[in-house]
Amino acid sequence: MTDEAQKPSIITSSLDFLVNWGRTNSLWPFPYGTACCAIEFMSTEVGRYDLSRIGSEYVRFTPRQSDVLLVAGTITYKQAPILKRIYEQMAEPRWVIAMGACACSGGFYDCYCTVPGIDHIIPVDVYIGGCPSRPEAFFDAMFDLQKKIKDESYMKQRAGRVRDQLEMIKAKTAEAKAAAKDFAQEKVELAKEFVSEKEQELVKKAQFWKE
Amino acid sequence: MDFKELMEKFGGKLDAQAKWDDCVVVSREYLHNVVAFLKDDPSCKMDMLVDIAGVDYLTYPNHEGPRFAISYAFKSLKHPGLRLRLKVLVSESDLKVPTISDLYANANWYEREVFDQFGIVFTGHPDLRRLLNHVEFVGHPLRKDYPAQKRQWLSTNDYLLPELEKRLEALGYWIVKRSKEVETKDNEFLEGSVKE
Repeated sequence: MTDEAQKPSIITSSLDFLVNWGRTNSLWPFPYGTACCAIEFMSTEVGRYDLSRIGSEYVRFTPRQSDVLLVAGTITYKQAPILKRIYEQMAEPRWVIAMGACACSGGFYDCYCTVPGIDHIIPVDVYIGGCPSRPEAFFDAMFDLQKKIKDESYMKQRAGRVRDQLEMIKAKTAEAKAAAKDFAQEKVELAKEFVSEKEQELVKKAQFWKE
Repeated sequence: MDFKELMEKFGGKLDAQAKWDDCVVVSREYLHNVVAFLKDDPSCKMDMLVDIAGVDYLTYPNHEGPRFAISYAFKSLKHPGLRLRLKVLVSESDLKVPTISDLYANANWYEREVFDQFGIVFTGHPDLRRLLNHVEFVGHPLRKDYPAQKRQWLSTNDYLLPELEKRLEALGYWIVKRSKEVETKDNEFLEGSVKE
């Protein structure tokens, strides 16, 4: 099954094309804005720059409905587990954009409280420089992300995922089998010990009565 | 105003190093009384607490005396332009200062911040927890002997919902369903979605 899915055929490649076309043109961002980069994102979103031209007009404020996690701003250590949790709540496929110097590398906050780049916590697809980054730079990043999505193969990803799950299930069943075997062995040994003890007792009793 | 009464009554001393404003050094035994006097006395009426700051004199040049200091900045709204700074010196062996959060409500969070960053304990404070740093943080980062680039990871979220519920209950709300912290499992998809 996995081999067949990996081979490019007319059906899979055209399905890939269709899925990628849909994904590229409706990227819904989740704005994780903590600093001035979020203000810059607002100006990207509305009127003059108008992010909805490339199909991402809906800014979803729940991770369940969004595709792109947009980290705009400084991430402190107090906030790091929250960001990680939000990333884990997002449904696949998901992409991450690190916007601005703080999200990319910690910026000039080289201190005890700031995470030096969000790639210490979650995987990042596109980095944008700038402090804060311009809306044009943000558009550039979105185009880069679209290019990246167009190269992806849905069928390959699915095959990989299925393979991983199968391997995991196999490993789990092997573990369970080994555990059951150990358990059965222990039981058998216990039973043997019990029987031998009883036998010894009987022998002792027989000897006693003989005497 | 020259704060003569302050010095006569409470034994305060003018800080010679303060160039730009009036700074009076008082001992911590008199601190609460001094602040109450400043707040209520008609000649000064300092009804605004601007800031509380901690100072660590560990690497300060030509400094003698205790290592830490706490600086209170006051401002008067009745007498325009009247400002005063109080300074309390505390040694490292006995880091305790009486709280003034019963006089000024905003001192609550200021004192929490100073406790967080310098480790100075405010006796009598209603809720002395860390304010800026997370719960698993070890040490006090604004002390001069804390390495500035030493980073400390936090493993979980601060779980604040039980506290929120408590506060809502205190306000007279009725909580229908109490929240429970969700613990995520790695291989949850193997266990099936239907649970009893």
